[in-house]
Amino acid sequence: MLYWINSNILPKKIKCIFFKKSFIYNFSHFRQAYYGGNWASFTFSGLLAWIEENKEAFSKEEITEWMNDIKEGEEILLLNSSDKSIMNVEVFNFDLFLTVDPDEDLKEEGSSQKENDLFLTVDLVEDLKEQGSSQRKDDLFLTVAAAESFESGIDKSPDMYVNEHPSEALEHNDVCTSSQKKNPELFLDGKKYVNVCKTSVAETRKTITYSQIIRESRRFNIDLVSKLLYSRGSLVDLLIKSNVSRYAEFKNVNRILTYQNGSVEQVPCSRADVFGSKQLTVVEKRMLMKFLSFCIEYEQHPEEYADFKERTFSDFLKTKNLTTNLANFILHSIAMVLDTDLTTEGLRATQHFLQSLGRYGNTPFLFPLYGLGEIPQCFCRMCAVFGGIYCLRHGIRCLVVDKETRRCKAIIDSCGKRISLWAFYCGEQLISRAVLITDRSLLKADSEQLISLVTVPPLKNGQPAVRIIELCSSSMTCMQGTYLVHLTCSSVENAKEDLSPVVSKLFSENIKTGEKGEVEAERPNVLWALYFNMPDFSSVERSSYDLPNNVYVCCGPDSGLGNDCSIQQAEHIFHQMFPDEEFCPPAPNPEDIVYDGDGAPPEESLFKEHEESEVGDGEERTLDTKHLVTSTTNEAEDAQESVKEIPSE
Amino acid sequence: MAIRELKVCLLGDTGVGKSSVVCRFVQDHFDHNISPTIGASFLTKTVPCGKELHKFLIWDTAGQERFHSLAPMYYRGSAAAVIVYDITKMDTFQTLKKWVKELKEHGPEDIVVAIAGNKSDLSDIREVPVKEAKEYAESISAIFIETSARNAVNIEELFQKISRQIPPLDPQEYEKTDAFKLTRPPPTSSKRCC
Repeated sequence: MLYWINSNILPKKIKCIFFKKSFIYNFSHFRQAYYGGNWASFTFSGLLAWIEENKEAFSKEEITEWMNDIKEGEEILLLNSSDKSIMNVEVFNFDLFLTVDPDEDLKEEGSSQKENDLFLTVDLVEDLKEQGSSQRKDDLFLTVAAAESFESGIDKSPDMYVNEHPSEALEHNDVCTSSQKKNPELFLDGKKYVNVCKTSVAETRKTITYSQIIRESRRFNIDLVSKLLYSRGSLVDLLIKSNVSRYAEFKNVNRILTYQNGSVEQVPCSRADVFGSKQLTVVEKRMLMKFLSFCIEYEQHPEEYADFKERTFSDFLKTKNLTTNLANFILHSIAMVLDTDLTTEGLRATQHFLQSLGRYGNTPFLFPLYGLGEIPQCFCRMCAVFGGIYCLRHGIRCLVVDKETRRCKAIIDSCGKRISLWAFYCGEQLISRAVLITDRSLLKADSEQLISLVTVPPLKNGQPAVRIIELCSSSMTCMQGTYLVHLTCSSVENAKEDLSPVVSKLFSENIKTGEKGEVEAERPNVLWALYFNMPDFSSVERSSYDLPNNVYVCCGPDSGLGNDCSIQQAEHIFHQMFPDEEFCPPAPNPEDIVYDGDGAPPEESLFKEHEESEVGDGEERTLDTKHLVTSTTNEAEDAQESVKEIPSE
Repeated sequence: MAIRELKVCLLGDTGVGKSSVVCRFVQDHFDHNISPTIGASFLTKTVPCGKELHKFLIWDTAGQERFHSLAPMYYRGSAAAVIVYDITKMDTFQTLKKWVKELKEHGPEDIVVAIAGNKSDLSDIREVPVKEAKEYAESISAIFIETSARNAVNIEELFQKISRQIPPLDPQEYEKTDAFKLTRPPPTSSKRCC
């Protein structure tokens, strides 16, 4: 990801906030654009489009005539112009019956995008009438079966909708036949259907259908990165300090759950929880409180853990007279460290957790309304308010570097061109991610509107510990009646292999009637699932790259729960660039603004300009820049062709 | 009287006078060389409306409109949107439709839309006929008014019209959310664990 700010817009008299996450993302291929890069969040159809983009084969393109723009004494540094850091993308759609009805529109509300080709993997369920279907004769039932099927176009298909239908309808249907000839209306012109043979399954309790999800696409705000904010973490502090907090609203994470002994249980973490817990004996309660009290001020009692400094936290816990249950709670759900992490790390993490407790609620965590993707947007807004300008949809093709000074002199803008440069994706640590849409909570409670953090210890040796964040619809990240579930772990294998065992244990995916046991009936049904890997560059050093000295490397998201790593890095980079400036100083209140009458020439119309740049697709522009910041993913870039319009200070 | 905060987002091409309209409304001030919206997250003004006080929090684009780079977050929770065009520039009216589309895609469903044809003091070089603009506004059920930020014409009226279209407060709506803003100083900790 390439982020940059221009020195012209950072005059001394205005403190420009520059934040690592504040950057522009280019999605030039579809001319889609969004803030946040790998930190972004999407509507459901936005996510489908993103999935498509990430499935595309990587193609190299030739260096073309813009090479002529390179002057003597300059050299160029080519950048990847599209994000190929996302890997192993797999999509699964469960138990959804689609009915084609020409009268119905399957359309996202408010969407006015033009229709795309529809690619759909479907089951044709033949002759429902004979099988006791109560459906109308003309209806077609399609079971959406498997991966790689739902492409970005589906939401724009005019003639698909999902039919809610009785369970008995398909119960006996285990033969799946392609019935193209019988159902010609299915093969809409310009659209491609693939038949996949799969047994159709009935579902009695289903209330949410795929068409509803599509129609309510805008209700979803699906984050690529799943994190929470520690109430006393550096992100919360920064938001408050800079007044960026005024742009966002938060909810408390209501519960911390864990998967233990085959079931999902609540983790007692506050004093009230501990004493109110029915799972703990009185003795356990005392032991837990004693241990937690020690953790909150562990630095004052170094003698307690002196012998364990070089040993694991897990070993240390064993010496503390805690029952296995309690030790697991502390290790996996409170400290959230690995079995192999050292004692001091575990104590520090436990302390951080406890310190954050009670600041805003009963758990230490906050979640932003509309998803984590709001945070970069909020910082972008603040930056814009102070004169930073963001330009979506414009890629950077290359950096023009002065051979002598090793400074980046300019960039060349691209429009959809791709040129490979830093092939440093392989061998990096990966994050495994899954996103599920489910129909009920993992643990039933009085309220349906709860946000839960679920920690799942490794199911087997060698498997990763998985962190689940279950979001309810009032968090503004999913439609009513659904839950948006994020799973995250450090990759051992690929995302599907790492996370699907946990999904199978906690959720119900393969809903075959008759095979579903009592227990499974209680589990949330997975309506839709996405798996993917993204790189974790948190340990990447700038020195790994031969970069111009005014180009800075920003890491992408890390796999941790909090945001401290990113904030630290942002601050560090900011101070490298502007040693004398305060990082994210408080923005003034609206009342305090004084217009100084500082003139600026009238500017061009946005759309006019934009259209022109569309016409000139592939045409390049050379821009002056002093400071460039680049992240290790370097796939998406921003440009800032407005530079010449901005009055110099 | 109950004070109700209403977020209003401004849209429209660069240079049509979005900031001037707000500046006139909020500070009753017009500056020919107004600097393009530096430093203001939003401006506020409170006006009475029936039994309520409407406190408008008016968000300006902060230049993000220039590259069509307004984040979804800009529209979140807006009660109303004012889309401004310049009556002396046909192209700013043409692109109005794109802003309407943008608003449909990203804005709340029940948002009140107002279209303001600004610079009505320059009607001798008008390019956009009133009739055309009015008909378009009607076709999308939007408020329509021509304004002059320079001469303080119809600016108050614009916001009054918006005020009147804001649906009365739904008590259920009001209670449902337990979301909050992070404030300084943070709430004091009342129930620490240990």
